[in-house]
Amino acid sequence: MANEQVGTLVLENVSKIFPQRDGQGEVRAVDNVSLTIHEGEFLTLLGPSGCGKTTTLRLISGFEMPSAGRILLDGQDISHRPPNKRDMAMVFQSYALFPHMTVFNNIAYGLRIQHVSRSEIKARVDKVLDLMGLHNLGERRPNELSGGQQQRVALARSLVVEPRVLLFDEPLSNLDAKLRVQMRSEIRNIQRRLNITSVYVTHDQVEAMALSDRVVIMNEGQIEQIDSPEEIYRRPVSRFVADFIGRANFLPATVEAVTDEQVTMTLLGHKVTARAKFAPAVGDQLTAVLRPEALLLKSDPNLPQAVVKQAMYLGASSEYIVDVDGQELVVVESDPSTEQIFREDQMVGISFVAETVHLLAQ
Amino acid sequence: MNHLIRGRPIAEFRRIIQDPVLFIGLILVVLFVSITILSPIYAMVEESLTEEGQELFDRYLSSPVYRNIIRNTLEMGLIVAATGTALGFLLAYIQVKVAMPFKRLMHITYLIPIISPPFAVASAVLLLLGRNGIISKGWLGVRYDIYGLDGLTLVLTLSYFTVAYMNLKGMMQALDPALDEAATNLGASKFRIFRTVTIPMLIPGIAGSFLLLFVEAIADLGNPLVMGGNYEVLSTRIYVSIVGLYNTTAAAVLSVILLVPSLLVFMVQRYWISRTSVVSVTGKPTGTPQQITHPLVRWPLFAVGICASLFILLVYGTIFAGAFTKILNVNNEFTLDHFDFVINGYGSEAMKDTTQLAAIATPIAGLLGMIIAFLVVRKKFMGRAALDFATMLGIAVPGTIIGIGYLLVFNTPNEITLPLLGTIEVIPKLTGGRAIFGGAGAIILVFIVRSTPAALRAGVAALSQIDPSIEEASISLGADNIGTFRRITLPLIRPAFFSGLVYAFARSMTTISAIIFLTTSRTKIMTHQILNEVENGRYGNAFAYCVILIGIVLTAIVILSVAVGTTTGAEKSIEGGA
Amino acid sequence: MKKLSILVFCFLLAAALAPAMVASPAAFVEAQEDTLTVLCTPQEDWCIAMTQAFEEETGIETSYVRMSSGESLARIRATQDDPEFSVWWGGPADAFIAAYEEGLIEPYEPALASVLAPNAVGVDHAWHGVYVGALGFCSNIDFLEELGIEAPTSWQDLLAPELKGNVAMAHPATSGTAFTAFWTVVTLKADELEAAEAGTGYDENGAPTEAAIDNAFEYFGELHQNILQYTRSGSAPGTMAANGEIAVAIIFSHDCVKLQVEGFEGVVMTTFPEEGTGYEIGGMGLIKGAPEPEAAKMWIEWALTPEAQAVAATVNSLQLPTNPETPVSDLSVKLEEVNLVNYNFIAAGTNRTAVVERFDAEIAPQPVE
Repeated sequence: MANEQVGTLVLENVSKIFPQRDGQGEVRAVDNVSLTIHEGEFLTLLGPSGCGKTTTLRLISGFEMPSAGRILLDGQDISHRPPNKRDMAMVFQSYALFPHMTVFNNIAYGLRIQHVSRSEIKARVDKVLDLMGLHNLGERRPNELSGGQQQRVALARSLVVEPRVLLFDEPLSNLDAKLRVQMRSEIRNIQRRLNITSVYVTHDQVEAMALSDRVVIMNEGQIEQIDSPEEIYRRPVSRFVADFIGRANFLPATVEAVTDEQVTMTLLGHKVTARAKFAPAVGDQLTAVLRPEALLLKSDPNLPQAVVKQAMYLGASSEYIVDVDGQELVVVESDPSTEQIFREDQMVGISFVAETVHLLAQ
Repeated sequence: MNHLIRGRPIAEFRRIIQDPVLFIGLILVVLFVSITILSPIYAMVEESLTEEGQELFDRYLSSPVYRNIIRNTLEMGLIVAATGTALGFLLAYIQVKVAMPFKRLMHITYLIPIISPPFAVASAVLLLLGRNGIISKGWLGVRYDIYGLDGLTLVLTLSYFTVAYMNLKGMMQALDPALDEAATNLGASKFRIFRTVTIPMLIPGIAGSFLLLFVEAIADLGNPLVMGGNYEVLSTRIYVSIVGLYNTTAAAVLSVILLVPSLLVFMVQRYWISRTSVVSVTGKPTGTPQQITHPLVRWPLFAVGICASLFILLVYGTIFAGAFTKILNVNNEFTLDHFDFVINGYGSEAMKDTTQLAAIATPIAGLLGMIIAFLVVRKKFMGRAALDFATMLGIAVPGTIIGIGYLLVFNTPNEITLPLLGTIEVIPKLTGGRAIFGGAGAIILVFIVRSTPAALRAGVAALSQIDPSIEEASISLGADNIGTFRRITLPLIRPAFFSGLVYAFARSMTTISAIIFLTTSRTKIMTHQILNEVENGRYGNAFAYCVILIGIVLTAIVILSVAVGTTTGAEKSIEGGA
Repeated sequence: MKKLSILVFCFLLAAALAPAMVASPAAFVEAQEDTLTVLCTPQEDWCIAMTQAFEEETGIETSYVRMSSGESLARIRATQDDPEFSVWWGGPADAFIAAYEEGLIEPYEPALASVLAPNAVGVDHAWHGVYVGALGFCSNIDFLEELGIEAPTSWQDLLAPELKGNVAMAHPATSGTAFTAFWTVVTLKADELEAAEAGTGYDENGAPTEAAIDNAFEYFGELHQNILQYTRSGSAPGTMAANGEIAVAIIFSHDCVKLQVEGFEGVVMTTFPEEGTGYEIGGMGLIKGAPEPEAAKMWIEWALTPEAQAVAATVNSLQLPTNPETPVSDLSVKLEEVNLVNYNFIAAGTNRTAVVERFDAEIAPQPVE
């Protein structure tokens, strides 16, 4: 646990400034980011494109040098250490396999650089080929492999050198949806098994949720939130996070009473009490976050009424856009039974699970 | 704000220093380019701006005689550029779009002029079509006066159209056939497609080829020397100024006058054409180009293509025949005397010297080209555009200018005076027979300077196709920059490296204008010897030199393809594994 | 396989580099006198034969560069601080006189200087004559027939309109032959002026006057309209005539005879201008600051021997030898049969630089109507 406090990889107030294309002015791609990554942790940098997540990863890997701040690995300042001296290995979005080398030679590459003995290279490469389910493919060339196999080789190549930190730059974005899911769990399993500290960049929130111990949400070069996937989903710190992770309905609310951290207000005609991480005063305007699955529809005239604007039956769930007093809300009903399927223009009663209400300051 | 902008290059600089090998490499490359390319050009411009030089400028630019010479030069450049580009375009179009027999063979004949020595074409054309030409006088009974602009146009077009042909052929093949298909779908006729789709898409390629040929033509020295007749151009004037009068100032002034259009064209090519290029090379055409099969279009075009092939074969056949006959067209007796002269006799020295110097320059130029390409494409540092530009000057500038610049800069040792150590000779005397290596040093440098640009362009094109993360992957796995370059980059750009080497060797073996002022008693260069033989009408010896020179270049291509390989190894596997 | 190919490549590279490395120290050696570099002006094959003969005779490794007179003079001038040649052999003597006046030649008196005719020995022994040749017109017989004219026998004949674009000569800036032709016309113009009014053609030193030179420029200005091309090398127009590219070449007659002997018998013929033709005395001199002075002196001594002068005939160079003991070929020009002008070599040498520069500026670049 002490180890965890120190952190394997620490970013201290790191900034990266690029000049703008036209030569005028500059872009703060990474803006004063501080971050601690713990031993064996799987941390994901998540955000929309241009949020600085890839730059952050490239700063960690050493392909970019920070304009300000420090990067520490095991307590040592590596901010200006060249990337090949950092004991990290990166898995690239494009796999970046060496097209002129066989799979075996691709994987052995890092070991050869380290001047590992021939017999040990053979043993270690074979082991990792086995681990990745690539046996018999050692003599193939990268362009003779399927996308998934190429991805496995790329991962194997990085694993075999046993780096201190493993870096992933959107490694699954070139795979089709099905393979992506499969590779996702493979990466997760292997990372757990080998307990390698990993930093993963993606713009796919599902991938981030599925893989990570902790997720870092970035926006415009800054960190919005660092938390476990569950925490981020349930308790986003900002409207940006709430909107970026999953889907969210934002309802305006006025604070009616405050006791301890419990705030009372009226939402969709229901009086609810929820916890706030901040200390609002009576009369303050707040935003309540309600996930689509927290909203419930029922043909019940006693409930506040909504009009179904759009209905989509998706098999495992049904998705509706409903209008409540001029505000459109997204509602997802999982496993809908036949009588629970509503048609467009139908009037329905709407309610929600009060415990899931999350409050944001205005 | 401001300090941050300034701070960035420093950070990048710091990063370069962090890899000492890269840093030293960069410094060496910059030094090399400054010394071997920039300083001679600078010295020449400086020489032309002396008081004496300025007087000459006034004199030349106000004299109707010299204005006429300048006009001749530009006129010849424009005509050759137009005919060469037109021929290149036509032949490329026929190759790519017209279905016909013997395509491959015709293609090969179009490539021959690249590896052929200068004067070969001019001499053969003189023998065939000259005033006493085998065809003109012998068959047709016409004493055709080929000396002057018409002869130069023919010879220069034949020598340089290949550049346009290759350029445009590559572009036409890269054109997305879907465009044609789309146009056909919309009901356009073949001719309409040609006019409204093909031509506009190729405008940048056509303009680029035109400019390239223009520069080559106005810089050409050998052909005007042999068949210029009374048609005086700047390059021959420069030549006489040096060779006959040794007036370096006059030569420098004339060179600067020649430099202006060359550089202008180079800039236009670099900053305008390359930006407006609409053809995106995706690597994989989405379909096969539609072929023209209409007999009324097909067969006339076929005739054009085959005529061009036959004419080239005729010219080179004449060279070959001339090398084995006593005096072609006068005494057609078979003889090996000319080869004896070149191989065993006096010519052997030039043959060995030239081959050896070219063999030294070739790997250096090839590697230098790849290294500069790597730095320019992959590394961020201040002045990388300038480095690219400076390297390209090696070929953008007419050869005579490089040659004269070398005489100005390297004819005496270059020294610097340091406060404590006194005067140190930094670069010894490089030109002339008394220089180190008998003047071979300057010649090797000129070979390198003249061939690196092509290797650089090939390298840049190849590198741009390679995902930078492949190199990053290598670095991320612990390799340093040099190791990555050697193990990953170089093998992947092997085809470019190969073509860079082949070009460097061929260019070195056939260059004349840049080294004509630099040959010495100790270092003899084949092209210079060929010029001597051609000038004195000893075509037999000249043709024997040409045949041997072509033989050497072809042998070198074979050796290089075995030693370096023409593939990356990435593509081989496609058949291997499937 | 890949390793092997890299090895092969490295090997080739090393093979290419090794001779250069080994050869380099030789280039550094300062005048060890086992080498000699000759600046050679006559035709290439004669240069080859001479240097080979000298090498066999003395064991001195002899290399040469062939340059026309004008080129040679320009090159010696340009490299005078650190000359690359030790001896300059061949080419009309006026170039040697010009070079000596500029301080580019070191006088040296060889033992055989005494056997030479007085006009073949330069002032202060700056140069010595190695051969003599007369200027002539070399015509293509068929071509003339086609044009319907006789072979030219006077300088005036060359201006015939039929010959427009059908005459070639070398550029006086590069070629001693062409300069000899120019100075011959200067001499003829001086004679004309002198005949009209004494003192207008020649000055008190016997040198042609400016007026004579101006008249010669006028003549060459007219001739320019008939010239196809000014070649670099003096003998090149002869081959053009032989190849039927032109009708008449202004060259040394021995170069025309050489062509006849070497396969163009019946193709070309030699004529001489009646009003007088110029001649050259092929000079030879020690270059000032020569890197190999001793070897150069050996060459100068040797080149005057009958054996050395006999080399010429072996390569069909039919100039007249200056050593009276050298056998003379029947094919050589008989000087007593042609009308030689009173060629003032010293005046020619003195005026050389100014004249060629003027020629290059005024005549050569002019367009032809």
